[in-house]
Amino acid sequence: MSYVDKFLSSYKPLIAIPVIITVIALVLLATNGLTQGIDLRGGTNVVIDLHQDTSAQELQSIISNGIGNNQVEVTSIVNQKATVEIAGETDAVKLTNVLAGVGTIESLQSVGALLSERAVTQVYYAIAFAFLFMAITVFIVFRELVPSIAVILAALSDIIIALGGMSLFGIPLSVASVGAILMLIGYSVDTDILLTTRVLKRREGTVNERAIDAMKTGFTMAAAAIASMVTLYLVVIFFMPFAHTLSQIASVLIIGLVADVLATWLMNLGVLRLYMEARR
Amino acid sequence: MKESVTEFFKDYRVILLIVLLIGSLAAITILGVPQGLDLQGGSQIEIHLEKPVDAGTMNTVTSVLEKRLNAFGVKDVQVRASGSQDVIVDIAGVKPEEVTDLVGTPGKFEAKIGNETVLVGSDITTVKAYVIEGNNWHVPFTITPEAASKFAQLAQGKAGQPVDMYLDGQLVSSPELNEGLANGVASTDVEISGTANSSTEAQDQAKNIQTILQSGSLPVSVSITGISTVSANLGEQFKTGALIASGLALIVISIIIFLKYRDPKLVFPIIFTSVAELILILGIATVIRQNIDLAAIAGIIAAIGTGVDDQIIITDEILKGKDQDKESTSRKTKKPKKAKKGKKGKQAKTGARKSKVTKRFTGFRVRIKRAFFIIYAAAATLIAAMLPVAYVGFTRGATGIGVLTGFAITTIIGILVGIFITRPVYAKFMEMMYGDK
Repeated sequence: MSYVDKFLSSYKPLIAIPVIITVIALVLLATNGLTQGIDLRGGTNVVIDLHQDTSAQELQSIISNGIGNNQVEVTSIVNQKATVEIAGETDAVKLTNVLAGVGTIESLQSVGALLSERAVTQVYYAIAFAFLFMAITVFIVFRELVPSIAVILAALSDIIIALGGMSLFGIPLSVASVGAILMLIGYSVDTDILLTTRVLKRREGTVNERAIDAMKTGFTMAAAAIASMVTLYLVVIFFMPFAHTLSQIASVLIIGLVADVLATWLMNLGVLRLYMEARR
Repeated sequence: MKESVTEFFKDYRVILLIVLLIGSLAAITILGVPQGLDLQGGSQIEIHLEKPVDAGTMNTVTSVLEKRLNAFGVKDVQVRASGSQDVIVDIAGVKPEEVTDLVGTPGKFEAKIGNETVLVGSDITTVKAYVIEGNNWHVPFTITPEAASKFAQLAQGKAGQPVDMYLDGQLVSSPELNEGLANGVASTDVEISGTANSSTEAQDQAKNIQTILQSGSLPVSVSITGISTVSANLGEQFKTGALIASGLALIVISIIIFLKYRDPKLVFPIIFTSVAELILILGIATVIRQNIDLAAIAGIIAAIGTGVDDQIIITDEILKGKDQDKESTSRKTKKPKKAKKGKKGKQAKTGARKSKVTKRFTGFRVRIKRAFFIIYAAAATLIAAMLPVAYVGFTRGATGIGVLTGFAITTIIGILVGIFITRPVYAKFMEMMYGDK
């Protein structure tokens, strides 16, 4: 109990932890940057069902020589299924002929420059508007400036940490991972709303008691969400590594949900308590 | 207890849930869940026009493309405009290399009398609007002067013979040669006419001929900007994988819920609610014909995930209320501990005093109401975050960020199903189990 008390009473310095991590994430984004997926960068992504054991190197040279493009990368071969990335647009007919005898095309995604440019714009607009709409909703719900801003800041730091994590682990920014970011905006605000409502609007018990209660609920929620995403991630990695949409969504959410625990219970709670103290 | 069980099943929200579940299951079995191309196998080809066009021209472009794909023997084709400069072609069960050539190049139109080619696509300069008079139809069009004299020569004296029209080498129509065109006089203004059994049939035939004539020359030049294709085999694997993942996730969540509450009574309703939500989302998607693709599956997982979160909020709110009732007698022993905290002790005391006053009001209904405030607020923010993507999806179709349309739509459906249907039932269930009676 004293451990929890100590933790709760030192809320001011603890705010620094998520802030520092957010800053590190920003530095990572600025220096390391984000790779872009096929759909945003343009190019071709192919899943090939191999007829016989073929090494990544062999496959790469077959394709590279066959279609006359030296920017060919074999990203994975699992269960006789190879995932290959090819820079630029690829002639599907030509590729099929090149692969005759080696394997058959299971899926192919080819994105031209025009389409990818448009997707990039849409991705940024989607995130910006999603965040804006979320912020407006939070203001409508609480109708109090500081608590609302605390929630929005926590969500912002959460997104930045998730993006920083993507930069660190080399998860590409793609339409799928943006989906995860949008999901994260919704998920992260859940626990913030729970916290703010319980601590600010209730009168039962002390602030500490209310915070602990909210935290217990919040941790159960986070545990359920993180565990289900880890499950999804593992299933995809072991059974269908070519389902990039799902593995990207899962990994971004795992990073974001862990970041959310820090952002909510160290930052949002800290700011909220500072505000309650100042209001007295 | 028995009384409260009967009461539970008499509640209108419980009845509503049961009715909707049956309705959804019926819809799913009768209509079948509409599947996205990545699950059933198929291709999507995105086509860009060189310049933005008006609705009429766009209509010509889409119908010409559709006609050519049909002529080629491709079934299950869907050609849609996306904005004023893009076209999306969805094809089920066909490999992309079979159709990219067809879409990317202008159509090859040929008209033959017997074995002689009398007209080709490049001879046609403009195709005018078709005319319907009762059951008769005409499609007037103009050809180049050179083509006109060649045609006049070849067609002379062949009135009544069929003119075989070929599109990309496939025979698509064989109208008879009109007497007026078989007299050897060259004319740049020609027309194809025919008679049908009804005026609607006449219109169909006229439109068909018009599109065929236009196919040789799309009003704008087009280029393929994106191809995405998935084999039926891979789609099958995606489905299996998604099922395994959802099943395992459900088991993992059950374990966490059990570890947290140590009460199997709580695991069952949470799992039941998750499965019910899955069925309702799929049922609604079936009725509104929203394709379920991989992104939509992610949306369903997100919605069910927030659903579990909401149930944890309700459960904690109710169990906490229960604990407080028990605790209120033993509270005195706890108090001195808090006083030791010095500066904050004072706050703690006032807090404790206040809570005693409020305790009388925090009955079961109030606690449920409080939980629902958090749930509604959380649902509103998640829907707000999904709206931009849903908007792009509705206006532009599944291109760019629109690929996530299914994701946004299933998330929104799932959240609405949650807050209006399954969450109230869960609260009702909790009332039955832990209510004040």
